[in-house]
Amino acid sequence: MRGKFKQTVTELAEADDRVLVMLGDVSVYQFNQFRERWPERFYNMGILEPTLISVAAGLASQGLVPFVHTIAPFLTERCYEQIKLDLCYNRFGANLVTCGASFDYAWDGPTHHAYTDLAILRLLPGMEVIQPGSERELDALLRSQYANGHPTYFRLSDHPHAIDTGEVVFGKGSVICRGRRDVTVITAGPLLGEVVEAVRDLEVNLLSFHTLKPIDRALIAEFAHTRLLVVHDAFGLLEAVQELGGLRVWYHGLPDRFCGWYGQLQAIRQRLELDAAGIRRAVINLLDVAP
Amino acid sequence: MNETCRKIRADILSISHTSGHGHIPTCFSVVEALYAIYRVMRHRPEEPLWSERDLFVLSKGHAALGHYCTLAACGYFPIEAVAAFGAFDSRFGCHADRFKVPGVEASTGSLGHGIGVAVGMALALKIQRSDRRVFTLVGDGEANEGTVWEAVMVAVDQRLDRLTILYDHNKSQRRCLQIPNPAERFRAFGCTVSEVDGHDLQALETALTRSVDRPHVVVLDTIKGHGCQTLCEEVFAWHRRSPDSATLTRLMEELHAG
Repeated sequence: MRGKFKQTVTELAEADDRVLVMLGDVSVYQFNQFRERWPERFYNMGILEPTLISVAAGLASQGLVPFVHTIAPFLTERCYEQIKLDLCYNRFGANLVTCGASFDYAWDGPTHHAYTDLAILRLLPGMEVIQPGSERELDALLRSQYANGHPTYFRLSDHPHAIDTGEVVFGKGSVICRGRRDVTVITAGPLLGEVVEAVRDLEVNLLSFHTLKPIDRALIAEFAHTRLLVVHDAFGLLEAVQELGGLRVWYHGLPDRFCGWYGQLQAIRQRLELDAAGIRRAVINLLDVAP
Repeated sequence: MNETCRKIRADILSISHTSGHGHIPTCFSVVEALYAIYRVMRHRPEEPLWSERDLFVLSKGHAALGHYCTLAACGYFPIEAVAAFGAFDSRFGCHADRFKVPGVEASTGSLGHGIGVAVGMALALKIQRSDRRVFTLVGDGEANEGTVWEAVMVAVDQRLDRLTILYDHNKSQRRCLQIPNPAERFRAFGCTVSEVDGHDLQALETALTRSVDRPHVVVLDTIKGHGCQTLCEEVFAWHRRSPDSATLTRLMEELHAG
C-alpha cells in the first residue's frame, strides 16, 4: 500500500504544486524519485514526530498541502496534542499517513503495535479518519480528500485486500453481501479479506467501512433491525457504529491487554481469533444464539 | 520606560483587575519585546490578513493579555474591547483564538507548540520564495519542553534565515528545571544569537533588524513583573492573580513612579 501511496501522491504533486511530503525517516527509498524531482517539496525532516505535525500546521497555514508520513503509534499516540491543537483547533489541514497498522509490525512487539490510533483520532473535532482496506480505496480517498482543508488520517497497511468494494466514496460504507440471516457483520480495513472468507456460506450481511469518521450512519441504520457483530483488529469501529444508539451490537476484536507476541501478523491474528477460522467461529456462535 | 509600554502595562493591570484573570508578571517581562516586534514587523493593523504581512506566533500563549494590549496599542482594535478578557462570550480568552482576535496568527496555550508552527510558517515562506519574516516568542519555562529544541533543530537544518525566535529569559524556572546560559545553548544548536536587555526598546529593535543567514535567536534578559516592584519581589505569588482595587492603585503608583 505504501507503493500506491507514493504513486498517488506523486501524481497529485504533478498537478498541484502545493503538495509536499514530510517523512520521519520512514519509507525514504519509496520517495527517491519524488525527492529528485521536487527537492523543495520533499523533507525527510527527522525523527521528531510532534514537530512534524507542528511544522505541517505552519506549512498549511500558508496554503501548502503537506503529507506527513511515519509509523502509526509515533505519529498518532505520541503526537495527539499536536494533532488536537496545531491541526484541529487551528483548523490547519494536513494529511497524516501512517504505516504499521495494528500488528503489521508484529515482530517488533507492543511498542510498534498500533490499535488505538483510529479510536483516539475519531474524538477530535474536524478530523477525518480513513482506514483503506485496498489500494483502490486508498487511491480514491487520497484524491478526494487530500486538499479539503481538514486534517485527514490515512492508515496504510502492508497487507491490503484486493476485494472490489464497489464505488469508493468518502463517508460511505460498502455492502459486500446480503444474507437471509438476521446477523450483520461489520468490519473495516484490510481485515475484510479474512472476514469475507470466514462468512462466505453463512448467509449473513457483511458491511465494510473505509471511513471511520464520519461513519456512514445511514448504512448502519439500514441494518439496525439485525444483530450487529463488529469484527475489527483495532479500536474505533465499534465506537463509531455505536454512535447510532439503540443497536444490538457484539464485538469480536481486541482484548484489554497488550498483545505481547512477536512473529508475523497472521500468527497474532490467529491467537486473537481474528483469522478467518476464528472470525467464522465468532459469527457461528452469534448465529447459534437465539435472536 | 517607553510611554507606550507603560500604557500597555497599565492596560494589563486594569483589565486583570476588572476581569479577575491574567498572568501579569509573565506579560510584564515581554511588553517591550511584543511592542518591538510590531514596530519592526511589516503589518497593517487595518488589514490584519494583508497577504504581504510578516507573521508573529506567541508560543508562550499565557502572555495573551500582553499580546492583546499590544495589538490594541498598534491599532488592531480598541482597548475597551479587551475588557471582557476571559469572560464566557468574550473574543479575548486567557489564551488567544486566531479566529476571534485580529492579528493572532495561531491559537496557542499549550507550551512547546507555537514555535513548531512558526518554523512551518517560515519554511512555507521559504518554499514560496517570499521575503516575509516570521517571529515567535518562547518562554524560558516553555523551553523545558523538548519540542522547543526539536523545532530549533529543524529551523537550523532548513536554514530558515527569515525566522526570529525571541527567548524570554525571565528566570521563571528558578524553583524548577533551569536552563542556564541559553545563548550558549542556542549557538550550540547552530543559531545566530543576539543577547539584549529585554526592556531596552532601542536594543530590541536593533537586534530584530539584524541581518542573518540562519535562524536568529534573540535572548531577552528580562525581569518577570518588570515595571512594578511588588510583582518583581513576589513573582510566584503573582503568577496567576489579579489585583483588588487597593492593590491596583498601589501597582499603578509603582508603574508610574518608574
